[in-house]
Amino acid sequence: MGKSSKDKRDLYYRKAKEQGYRARSAFKLLQLNDEFHFLDDETNLKRVVDLCAAPGSWSQVLSRKMFTESKGNLDGKKIVAVDLQPMSPIENVTTLQADITHPETLSKILHLFGNEKADFVCSDGAPDVTGLHDLDEYVQQQLIMSALQLTTCILKKNGTFVAKIFRGRDIDMLYSQLGYLFEKVICAKPKSSRGTSLEAFIVCLGYNPPSNWEPKLDLNKSVEEFFSGCSLGRLKISDDNKLSNWKIEERDIAEFMSCGGLDSVDSDATYHFDEDDTSNVKKPALVSLDPIQSPTNPPYKKALELKRKGKLTRAV
Amino acid sequence: MSNFKQLSHIGPSLCVKFYNDTILLAAVGPFIHVYEFRSDKLINKCRIFHNNKIHGFDISQEKCVLYGGKSVSIISISDLLNQIDLKHTELYVPEWVVACTLANDNENCYVLTCYNQVLILNPNGVVLHTKKLLNERSILYSGSIKVLDDRVVVNAGTVMGGILIWDLFSEQKIHNLKGHVGSIFYVTVSDDGKYVASCSDDRSIRLWNLENGQEVSIGWGHTARIWNLKFFNNNMNLISVGEDCTCRTWDISSESELITKNVYEVHLTKNCWSCDVQEELMIAATAGNDGRIKLIDMNKASRYGNELQSFTLQSIGETLEIKFEKNEIIKGFHWFSFGLIAITSLGKIIKYVECTQSWNLIVVNEDLASYSNTIGIDNTIIFSNNKGYVLLLAFSDDGRSIIMQKELHTDYLSKVTNCMCVKFDENYLITLESPNPNDNFIALEIEPVSLEIKRTFKFNKPGNFVSSCLEVVNQNYLLVGSRFSTVAIFNLSDCERDAFMIKKLNPGDTVTSIKFVESKDDSNLFSITNRDGFYNIVNINFDNETYEVIHSNKIVKGFLEGAFYNKDNEYITYGFKSTLFYMYNEQHGYEILSQLCGGAHRQWKLCSLDGTNSNEEFMLVYIKASELYLRRIYKPIVPETLVNGLHGREIRDISILPQPFNKEEYLFATASEDTTIRLNKFNLVTGDIKSYWAERKHVSGLQRLKFISNKFLISSSAREELFLWAINTSFSSNPYITVRATLPTSAHSPDLRIMDFDTLFINEDRTDFIVSTIYSDSTMKIWYYDSTDNQFKLLWTSRYKTCCLLNVKLIILEDELYLLVAPTDGHLVVYNITNELETARISDNKLVNIKVPMVPVTLSNLKPEIELAVHQSGIKCMDVEFSKDTFKVYTGGDDNALSISKFYKNGGRICGEFVYSNPKAASSTITSCQLFKNGTRLLSTSVDQIVRVWKVEEDKLVSMASRYTTVADTGSSDIIKDSSLLIGGVGLSVWEYDENSN
Ligand SMILES: C[S@@+](CC[C@H](N)C(=O)[O-])C[C@H]1O[C@@H](n2cnc3c(N)ncnc32)[C@H](O)[C@@H]1O
Repeated sequence: MGKSSKDKRDLYYRKAKEQGYRARSAFKLLQLNDEFHFLDDETNLKRVVDLCAAPGSWSQVLSRKMFTESKGNLDGKKIVAVDLQPMSPIENVTTLQADITHPETLSKILHLFGNEKADFVCSDGAPDVTGLHDLDEYVQQQLIMSALQLTTCILKKNGTFVAKIFRGRDIDMLYSQLGYLFEKVICAKPKSSRGTSLEAFIVCLGYNPPSNWEPKLDLNKSVEEFFSGCSLGRLKISDDNKLSNWKIEERDIAEFMSCGGLDSVDSDATYHFDEDDTSNVKKPALVSLDPIQSPTNPPYKKALELKRKGKLTRAV
Repeated sequence: MSNFKQLSHIGPSLCVKFYNDTILLAAVGPFIHVYEFRSDKLINKCRIFHNNKIHGFDISQEKCVLYGGKSVSIISISDLLNQIDLKHTELYVPEWVVACTLANDNENCYVLTCYNQVLILNPNGVVLHTKKLLNERSILYSGSIKVLDDRVVVNAGTVMGGILIWDLFSEQKIHNLKGHVGSIFYVTVSDDGKYVASCSDDRSIRLWNLENGQEVSIGWGHTARIWNLKFFNNNMNLISVGEDCTCRTWDISSESELITKNVYEVHLTKNCWSCDVQEELMIAATAGNDGRIKLIDMNKASRYGNELQSFTLQSIGETLEIKFEKNEIIKGFHWFSFGLIAITSLGKIIKYVECTQSWNLIVVNEDLASYSNTIGIDNTIIFSNNKGYVLLLAFSDDGRSIIMQKELHTDYLSKVTNCMCVKFDENYLITLESPNPNDNFIALEIEPVSLEIKRTFKFNKPGNFVSSCLEVVNQNYLLVGSRFSTVAIFNLSDCERDAFMIKKLNPGDTVTSIKFVESKDDSNLFSITNRDGFYNIVNINFDNETYEVIHSNKIVKGFLEGAFYNKDNEYITYGFKSTLFYMYNEQHGYEILSQLCGGAHRQWKLCSLDGTNSNEEFMLVYIKASELYLRRIYKPIVPETLVNGLHGREIRDISILPQPFNKEEYLFATASEDTTIRLNKFNLVTGDIKSYWAERKHVSGLQRLKFISNKFLISSSAREELFLWAINTSFSSNPYITVRATLPTSAHSPDLRIMDFDTLFINEDRTDFIVSTIYSDSTMKIWYYDSTDNQFKLLWTSRYKTCCLLNVKLIILEDELYLLVAPTDGHLVVYNITNELETARISDNKLVNIKVPMVPVTLSNLKPEIELAVHQSGIKCMDVEFSKDTFKVYTGGDDNALSISKFYKNGGRICGEFVYSNPKAASSTITSCQLFKNGTRLLSTSVDQIVRVWKVEEDKLVSMASRYTTVADTGSSDIIKDSSLLIGGVGLSVWEYDENSN
């Protein structure tokens, strides 16, 4: 869909438009990097995977950081971006249309890297929410677990993993699980992520899996089974095939970090663009605000059409 | 040992099922509620899981398998009906459970997980087999398992539009049904094994042939996602519910298209999750996000067979053996207990007697040929023409004979354009009105047996007056509704006296009904409705000729023709919306009836069905395309709801009225994302919650609301909306609430939100106050509310930075006035505004006087005295504790932390110290915090769904108790009597807290 008037008044939307990003999400990655500098290592950041990447603003950030703005050696650098949705091309980025929960996706990515490991994996994936909080949070965590599965197979030791989370009721269980694979797990909230949303990002530093555990993807194994060797798979059917009873699960609260500095734009604030504006905000140039994301093709397109034609009225 | 537990909960219900023709089971959080649905009795509440919500269950005669999240429980029906705690039966499956079905042997059950695997479980929780479809492991949002005579079929709805149908035991794919776009949200197989029905993100329902996998037909109609489907009526119909809160029934017999049979609006604002049908009774049940359990009589319009009848003049003519003229039409009618009396455009008065189903011609009256007006009262019909002629006919109870008849030839008026009638004690009062402004307004008192005129009243007619409805009270006052939202009150014992006028109650349409509600001392309450959708409860004092609107609201949509209190004291409205006539339960927010009639522009009348005016059963008579329709509206055979529910979306704030409402009951208000404010009460002991009104004044999702005294409530939201509401609890019919004053707005940005406010009363009688408002664009304002002219006047305005402000408090410390603000940047910011409000007089740490400045207020550039960094990001909640020379601020943040900061004066300036922080006070955003027990305890709620109580020690917080709450998006709370808690989010819970109990 095109721009909504709400978008037009959003300062990050305007900034994204000005700086040529496809989505305002770009600033989330940029602000995370301001704090953790995981994209600033000119020499060692070579292979990067951007999961759930469409429409591609994170890939744009990666491309700029690693190629356009880099003064270092570009040899062997590679960015692979994966999404269910097709993506229009981005310079220096190899795009792959695939489902990250599908085991075959891994071999495709590995193939693109010539079987070399990645230095950085990020995932900004989010499923469509249903409004059932527990289900939405579970599906989000499954997406993270799928991303993590890929990550464990592809990330080199000491590498960094960043993923979008929803800070709901069981997020502390995820923190505790991640603690088994990384040296440090931080819950980071960029200023460009709205304070009213549950969205935040886990920044997992220093990939360091248990030495006795070898990640191995199997088409017919579940995520729980995949992680069962490294204290992550918590719920297993026991050897006598009995389901487990209720027990208190291990939980842990990750350190919280706000990212983006005090002077960055507040995504919860209302900015004025009208003439009689008295605020001292530097007004962004009033560029023509065409949609920055390519129009999506929602599944309910036909239903919208029928509604427009008055065919969905309550006739009975 | 402290006692800290939930007493009751209203919140999303994800599954309902009938057990038999008396019992209905509903899943509410981790509980199953057992209802005897016909008598509206809750007979058991059984806890199944520790924390997880029950998403669904399957039942047989003896057994039940329940699932939700990763939990499963297999239990006996008798335990479910009799036990209250079955948590020990909870078993954990490694993955999210999408569906569970009992096997035919009544022993084992099948558990489908979101990775398209089926575990075959025995009753002891042992996995006998694991079945799966090779290489099809991607995630499912929905699925079901159908046990058919010869096989068990697994239906897996994928996220990519496909539906995988596979055979459980052979683990072979039967079909991959393709056609839907987007995630599949439900899929089911008919009992006869012929059809598959499915629904998806594309808002369509599709019917498939299970045998050959072909798509049979598609149904469109839902305007948002569809969540649940079920075959019923021998697999001939489908029922569906969804995000648009409607329940729809479909006929599947037609090729290519599913035909909509009925649409029911069943839940509030967002998401109806589940439906079931009791086929013998043809009763459906639905469950929604609002917590409501709704019952639908699917045979409402056909249960007795005579609900809808229609007649043309021609068909009446055939039975009457008289001929109606070609252009003759029905001009007026009224329904009596015996049947109908009607008049045609040629003055033919006809009668329909119900018990014999026969029509009679009574008389042809030439005087009523060109113009007639029809009124019915008791068993009497009253016709009038525009020349002052009135015909009264009183019928016997069986309607067979006319027992009295009277003709009046009045000449008070030059022309009569309206004639109405109302009961006046035992007599009737007929009013006559002419279009001539100089004519009187006439009322005739008629004795009902003799039909003689007893008295004639000639009133001076007020200007700009066109009568529309009547009410009489105290045998002395005649209230006449008029156009322009005006009511004239005539004194029947003093005709000379000019009417007492209530003008422009609402924007301006016609008053459609006036109903007496109750009286107390000199107060007389009336319900007054306006065609434009507004309704009011008005308190009238006849002696002083004063009135006060104590309640006002607007219906959701359509025209409002009338309203009344039913026998359960629920406010019922009726009128038209688009092509429908509706009756609506305004208190709880559901439709009682809708009848397709073509819309508002027609002749119609809503009469009592049995003539008793009991307000329980009605006859709706209307004309559509020259046909006369009789629609009988019977008492429902099952209760309309088993639980009424509260808000369909998140509750953003809660406030409890400090003063008790009844012995153990307190009133409270809830502010929701659904843009409504609800006024409710709850019982401290039982936890029972009852809602009174849903106020629809705000047009955007609410931010804050608070009772600032026992009389006033303030609410704020986006679009710079802030309203001052007056609460009235002195009447027995209901508590009432109305907007008293509206805060002026400045910008025109719909995004500009008033994030929080705080008040300080000025005088002892707590009527005038100052209020500080803070905005999402960093603006701060202080206003003076002057009760005498009922207006907010701006005293001061300034701006912090550009970030959004989240919390505000007005504080007096050592006779100086401070503004404490908490923005999204995690600082506590304190301004000394004493000198900014020059006219403010403070003594004894109280604000005693303030005046509005003469000059216009300009933006102040006052700098804060202190900016103290206490949180990393937004301060979501704040409470303040005062002592003589310091104040302590308790804050909860988006950064999971709870902090304490201390402020005091030093050398005339405010100093502050950050004294304590627990950075891991919760595992996600802390959304509310509140001190209680004299500042010795702090309550916090957070999005991790944990409610915590902290002991406040010298500069630190010690965790005392924490409990899981089933309320998701936990975002608001309030406490009363240090022992009763309300927790709000997606749903509302009542909790009890008692440290001294054993
Ligand atoms: C918030 S958007 C990502 C925005 C992106 N980071 C950017 O800056 O443009 C989330 C994306 O996750 C993708 N997604 C969700 N589930 C997925 C899956 N299973 N595999 C691949 N992509 C998925 C969606 O298609 C969507 O494009």
